[in-house]
Order: sequence, then C-alpha cells, then structure tokens
Amino acid sequence: MTAAPFTQIGRALPRKEDARFLTGAGRYLDDIAPKGTLTASFVRAPHAHARILAINAEAARALPGVVGVFTGKDLALWTTNLRLAPPIEGLHPVEMTTLPIDKVRFHGDPVAVVVARDRYLAEDAAELVDVTYEVLPAITSAAAALAEGAALVDDALPDNLVSHQSFSAGNPLARQTEAARVVETQFDLHRHTHAPMETRGCLADWDRGREHLIMHIGTQAPHPMRSALASRLGLSENQVTVISPDIGGAFGQKIALYREELTVAALARHLARPVHWREDRLENLTAASHARETRCVTRAAVRADGRILGLELKLTEDFGAYCFYPANYMARVIAMILTGPYKIADYAFDVKVVLTNKCGNGPMRAPMAITSWVMEGTIDAVAHALRLDPLDVRRVNALGPADLPYRMATGELLEDITPLETLEAVVAAVGVPEFRARQKAALAEGRLLGLGFCSVVESTTYGSGFYKAAGIPGSGHEAAWVRIEPSGAVNASVGLMGSGQGYESPLAQAVAEGLGVMAEDVNVHMGNTDVAPYGMGSRGGRGATAGGGTLFLCAQKARDKVLAIAAGMLQINDTEGLRLFEGRVELMRGGAWEPTGLTLADVAKCAYLDPTNLPEGVDPGLDASLTYDPPPMTYSNATHACEIEIDRATGALRFDRYLVAEDCGTVLNPIVVQGQQQGAVAMGLSGALYEEVIYDATGQNLTATLADYTIASAVEMPNIELIAMHTPNRRTPAGIKGMAEGGIMGAIGVIAGAVNDALVPLGVSAQAMPFTPPRLRALIRSAGSGAPDIPRKERP
Amino acid sequence: MTEPVSISLTVNGATHDLVVAPRKTLADVLREDLGLTGTHVGCEHGVCGACTILIDGAPARACLTYAVQMEGHELTTIEAVAKSGELTPLQRALTQVHGLQCGFCTPGIVLTFEVWLRDNPDPDEAGVREALSGNICRCTGYQNIVKAVLAAAAEMRRGAGA
Repeated sequence: MTAAPFTQIGRALPRKEDARFLTGAGRYLDDIAPKGTLTASFVRAPHAHARILAINAEAARALPGVVGVFTGKDLALWTTNLRLAPPIEGLHPVEMTTLPIDKVRFHGDPVAVVVARDRYLAEDAAELVDVTYEVLPAITSAAAALAEGAALVDDALPDNLVSHQSFSAGNPLARQTEAARVVETQFDLHRHTHAPMETRGCLADWDRGREHLIMHIGTQAPHPMRSALASRLGLSENQVTVISPDIGGAFGQKIALYREELTVAALARHLARPVHWREDRLENLTAASHARETRCVTRAAVRADGRILGLELKLTEDFGAYCFYPANYMARVIAMILTGPYKIADYAFDVKVVLTNKCGNGPMRAPMAITSWVMEGTIDAVAHALRLDPLDVRRVNALGPADLPYRMATGELLEDITPLETLEAVVAAVGVPEFRARQKAALAEGRLLGLGFCSVVESTTYGSGFYKAAGIPGSGHEAAWVRIEPSGAVNASVGLMGSGQGYESPLAQAVAEGLGVMAEDVNVHMGNTDVAPYGMGSRGGRGATAGGGTLFLCAQKARDKVLAIAAGMLQINDTEGLRLFEGRVELMRGGAWEPTGLTLADVAKCAYLDPTNLPEGVDPGLDASLTYDPPPMTYSNATHACEIEIDRATGALRFDRYLVAEDCGTVLNPIVVQGQQQGAVAMGLSGALYEEVIYDATGQNLTATLADYTIASAVEMPNIELIAMHTPNRRTPAGIKGMAEGGIMGAIGVIAGAVNDALVPLGVSAQAMPFTPPRLRALIRSAGSGAPDIPRKERP
Repeated sequence: MTEPVSISLTVNGATHDLVVAPRKTLADVLREDLGLTGTHVGCEHGVCGACTILIDGAPARACLTYAVQMEGHELTTIEAVAKSGELTPLQRALTQVHGLQCGFCTPGIVLTFEVWLRDNPDPDEAGVREALSGNICRCTGYQNIVKAVLAAAAEMRRGAGA
C-alpha cells in the first residue's frame, strides 16, 4: 500500500483510443479493403469425425465470379505442417497439415476453401463443393476418449491421452493417514469459447514485385505471428510484415496462426491478389477455438481445525481435436499454482489432457480460470465437512506476511502478495454477521441467500525463466524503443498489441514517467512488425509489467542521454542534479528544482541538427532501444465476495452485492485497471452462469449462434465494488505486477461458493457449471430425493 | 436475388444512388458501397447489436435489413453523431467513465442511447440496463456503460434546464 512517487504513472488519464472508437473512426480488419481484393470462404465438415473420400468442386468452380477452389492437397504444396514437439515428458509430439487431407476431426473442420470476387459469391460456391465422407465414431467426452479401444482422434498417436504429467512434493499420502478427515471434492468446468465481438479475419496482400507478404490481421502477438507465417510459407522473416489494426476483442483467441489465416496468406501469394477472409459468427463459435472444459478432483487431508496437511489434485482437460499450443500448456499452470494463497507443503498432482472430436482448445482469458474455484471450493468443502466457519478454515491455512516470500510446493515463488489482507478487507466490507442474520431471516421465509468468498493468486507475467522450467520453447522478454524526434516529439514502440484493453494511454504513461515528459505528449505505436521491435506480444497479464516495464526502462535510457546532452549545453560537468520534468530540463539548486530554460525540444534539436556541439563521446540522434526479461513469474492477488439470492421456483440467480479487494501493485492507469477488473469479473460470471458450448452425442455443435451460446447482458451483471491495494513488486520496474485475468478466476470461484452456501439448507451442492436457472432449479428440486447433481450435458 | 438493382439511399442526410444485389444487407452496403465502416458487424443474426443504426430515427439491426428495403427511409449511422467534431454528452460520458474498451460494440450502443435518452430523459439504472440488454459487450461488464448513460442523462437534463 506504498504510494509510489510517480507523476505520470498512476494518473487517471482517459484513453487515447476512445475518440476514434466513439465516432466510428476506429479501423478494424474488415475496414481495410484494397482494390481488387478477393474473398475466401471455407467449406467445413458437417461431421465430428470422418474420412475425406473425395472432394468435387466442379460446380463451385463453374460459378461466375469464383476464382478457385483449393484443398488440403494444394495447401500442402505451398505451406509446411505445424509440428509441436517440445521435449516435455508425457507429452506426445503432434503434427497437422494446413488443411485436413485424410480426415476431419470436428464439426466445423475446414476441408476446402473457395476464393471469389465477393463474400456472397464465395459462400454460394462453398455450398456447391461436394465432399464425400466416411463417418467415423465421434469422441465427445474425455471419458470416451480414454475408454479402452476408443477411436483415435489423431491417427498418428498411440491413444487419445496427448499429455500426462504427475508431480509430488512431500508425502500427501502419509498426510492422509495422519488426518482427521480426507475431504474429496469434484469440480466440472464446462466448455467455453472466447466470442470476441469482432470475429477472426485477415487480409493477405502479396507484393509480387518485392516478393513480400503484408498480412493485415488482428493479432495479440504480431512478431510471433510473423515468425510462424514466414516459416510455414517458406519465406524469410524479412519478407513478411504483419500489421495489426484495431482489434474488436481477442481474449486469447488471436495469438496462434490458425489454419484459415495461413491458407489465406498462401492463396494471396499463389494468386498474386489481395485475399480477405472474415469468419462469420457460426464459424467463430464452432471452429475458432474453445477453452476450459476441465474436471478436477481434490483430496484434502485435514486436521480437526481445518488445517490442510496434504492435498492431491487429479485434473482432466478435454482439449478438442487439434493442438495449436502444447497440450499441457494451460492445464499445467492450474496444477502449478493451485495452492495459491495457502500454506500447503505436501502436494501432488496428476494432469491428463485428452483429444476429442471438438474444436481445439486455446488459452482463453485466464487459462487457469478454474484454479481458484478448485482451491476455494476445497476449503469450503472442508469447512462444511468439519462444520467449521469457512473463513476460519481460510485463516488457519492462509499465507500471512510472516510467511513471505513463500516457495510453493511446486517451486513457484510468491512474494509481495497480500492474500490475508484482501480477505480481511472484503470480510470487513461485507459485514458477515449481519449477512448471516439476513440469511437466516430470509430462510425462515423460504428464501435462499448465499455468501461466497474466493481468494485469488493470479500468475500475471511469465518470464523466460518460467518457460524454460516448463520445457516450452519461447521467451517472456519484451522489447521497446523510445525516440525523441528533432522537434522534441516523443514516439515509442513495444512488441505488445492491445485488443481493446486500452494500451495507448497507460503505456504512454510508462514512457512519460521514465523520460520526464507529459503522457499526453507521447505516442506509442504498436502492431506493425516493421515499426515495433520483436516482442512476445500480449498474453496473460504481461502487458503492464513486460510492456510497460520495458518502455519505462527504455525511456530512462533515453532520458540519460537527454540529460548528458543538456549538461553539455549548460556547460555542467555531469548530469547529477539535473532532471527532465514535464519536458523541461531542471537543475537542483539549494534543495529545489529550478528551470534551466532548456526544453526537450532544444536538446533534440542539438542532437539531430547540431551534432558537432554534442558533448564528447555522445552520438547524434535520440534513439534508445532496450529489451527486458521479467522475473520467472509475477503474481497479483485478490479476494472476491458476493451475496446472491436464488429464486426457489425458477432457479434464477440475483446478485445482491459483489466486492473485490485486489492488490495488483503499481498501476499505470487506474481507469484502465478498473475496466479490466470489472470486465474480467463479468466474463467470469457470464461463463459460470450462462455460456456453454454444447456438443451432442454425435459431435454436432448445438451452440452455433449467440442465441444459443448465451453471453450475459447488462440485465444479468452486477455492479462491482472495488477495494484497491497497491503493494509493489520488488523485482519489477516501478513495482508493476500486471492483472486482468484474476477477475475471471475469482468470479468463477466466488459464485460457486455463494451458490453452495445458499443450497446448504437443502442438502445439495453444485459441482458442475454453468449454473443456469434450469440447472439450479433441477438441483433445488432434487433436494431430499437423494439424487446427485444432474449430469452436465443434459440441458434441462 | 443476385442480379443487382438500382436503389437510392438517404444516409446521414445525403442521398446516394447505388446498384446493389437485393440480397445484400444494409450493413454490408453501408460499409462496402458507402465506406461507412463505423457500423460494425458482430453476428449477422441480430443478437449482438453491434450493427445498430437508426432507421427513421429508431434503432434497428443493419445486419437483418436489406438495403433494397430502405428506399424512402432516413438512415443515420455513427458517422453522423459527432459530425461537427464535438462529442455528444453521451460520447463524452462514455470516455470520461471508461464505458468502452475494444470499441467494436460502441457505435451500436451510442446510437441506441442517443435515441433512448431523448425518450427517457430521467432514467434509473434498471431501465438503462434493460435498454442496454440488446447490445452485447464482451469487454466492460456493462457497469461503466450504465454509469455513462446515467451521467449523460444528468448532463443533458442540466443542459436542457439551463
């Protein structure tokens, strides 16, 4: 809670992006249309699992306005396969062609592509492509995937268990024999999809003369996207430019190079024409990427006072049909950080990831979303089993200030976090005894009120050390440049690309703080790989620490040169006692800063236009660049609390109150941080309560429209009260920690806690999301009948 | 349905003579034929509300409307809202309280509430939330949009009273 002595960092500046977005002047992918652009439309599999016997495109090709129809065999001539084979024990290497050639693996798998003069014609033609299939058995659940003799989703693998890792620290089994109780709890998080308001799309423009690809694509990670495109098209990285326009939301769905995008790029080169593709909403919901479908079972060995002596986790993730990321990538983080805010030395996990005939999984905002539900749900189950106050069970296990820094059983290092403080802050704000009185009175009238708590330890910035330890190739570093132009104008760039968060103001603030100017006078350029330095893009909660931190350090480097030149101009021996403040060079005299009359513009003019007057050893120009690798991991923390009421007759859930105490260190811009906190909570609640990707037993996706995949509207979402805390991280520039995913972790966990608290009087518990009104009503009606939680797939 | 026909559209006060296929949606004609790309297409099945424009002053889904149906109607898109260069009270409130993030749904929300606030000058929160339920926002969680609409209403009442 230390107030940092910053003047630009921490300002509540409105976002630079807003003016263009509010007036319809934002420029998104579909707003770019060079002359002569062709449009691609994909022919998609109607089956979950089938061999491709023949593709007849004669009728489609004959349609006026159609330029061509292409299949996996064509793409194999122009592109290389995607092979993922990181040296991780228990992880099978996988390889896929650019478009399927032999068989399709999920409902929506692309089998051919039509290129035509416009999108209407392309879709007409796609309907005329006749594909003959031999239907194969569809694997539509993790259990079916692991069953003896199950059909293989990937014919190159020995079975559908694509990844299996286990780990043990201490001796959890021995702790079970010493324990007063062993409490087993199950958690089923259903299949989600990202559903950004702007679907995927790209515009590939092949410059035949220069032999250069310009790829316009909304991407969170422009440089890794460029690397992947170049590599798979057989081009050099100096023959590809990726340009990301404004992005209408991404949430993790716009990181990997997908098959459709590579296909479009290859077609632009083949046809020497700009080719455009924008998926429709049906494609986005069925064939972009999915997330989350994970079952966890915990076994907690506990003392009579609720202290957890040992903990076991069994996790199974239904990964879908294809791996665009190493299959262990998301599940592993859950297992690594599960114990979060608690002291648990004896811990073991067993993590299985299986392939099924569904759309492949990708990281969705908070890939580790289930973590806090599993840990806090385990705590609540322990409290329930031992008839203890759930808050007391949290306290008896919590990491306190004296325990930090704390090395988790998995080796992860927690420091500068405040889980006990955020817990006590929300407990005090809720007024627990008063709530319990209200709850009791309501119950007497037959009404069901519930109160939940959920503490979150959010892994935010993944440094290179984390990737190295995980065996995943890649880096967590970031790169930036800061340039003061001859006029004194400040330009800067970084390898991140925002997708709606509003990076332009907070990152300008990081530059302004490091350099000594006003944030309003800094422009940060992102998204163009010819402009930005090679960085790792936007993922997780790394934007502020990796992006802001690198820009801050780089701006300090530029400031040092500015002051060295200023010292020369002022005929002072060194820069001690000089500072740049709001664009003016100031000198310390008698304990106070005084103006020197020099401005940044004067210094810039000298640097560029009068270099013979520069101090000895100082090169012309004002152009700094820098890379920075954050610590292996940074953590933010929070505690969520919510009060709900469940309508006994309808199962409808209403929020009476929702609170979050969050400690995310130094914040660059509190307005943007607050927006991320609110948005993350809402996305978590919408997923926990309403959204669900549903496949039927044959693998047909039944949730292909936004009327079926239901995202919460303004009517369902609560106002969120925020209690802000700011313990800086000691290892990062300016003490930044990062945030923006933890809200999802907390929302999922706290709503489960509140629902189960409300259901206690009925003797039932909810273990499978989403908690839709029909599901809650069914659960309420099952009370007393001895019936367990209804199966998730049977949507009442 | 694919043979182009001649139509005349009145958009933001200007009349345009166009030749478009009868099956082409109004959203696509606004964006592709008239270059008015502030109208965004989010779902093409009428649920998300991103493509909301005004037809004769009333909010409507441009993705569920064919351009050929629009002869003789006055169309208003986001490009007409701050035409003088000055943001409206609603647009100002949206930026002041951070009621937008990626901006993709924003034009539809602005147009919906520019009209709604005229008919509902003194709204309460529940009313704003109900009216907003026709527009999906994936980023904000709606809280600051609601706050902005209420703030804009108060600002407009002050302006009207002055």
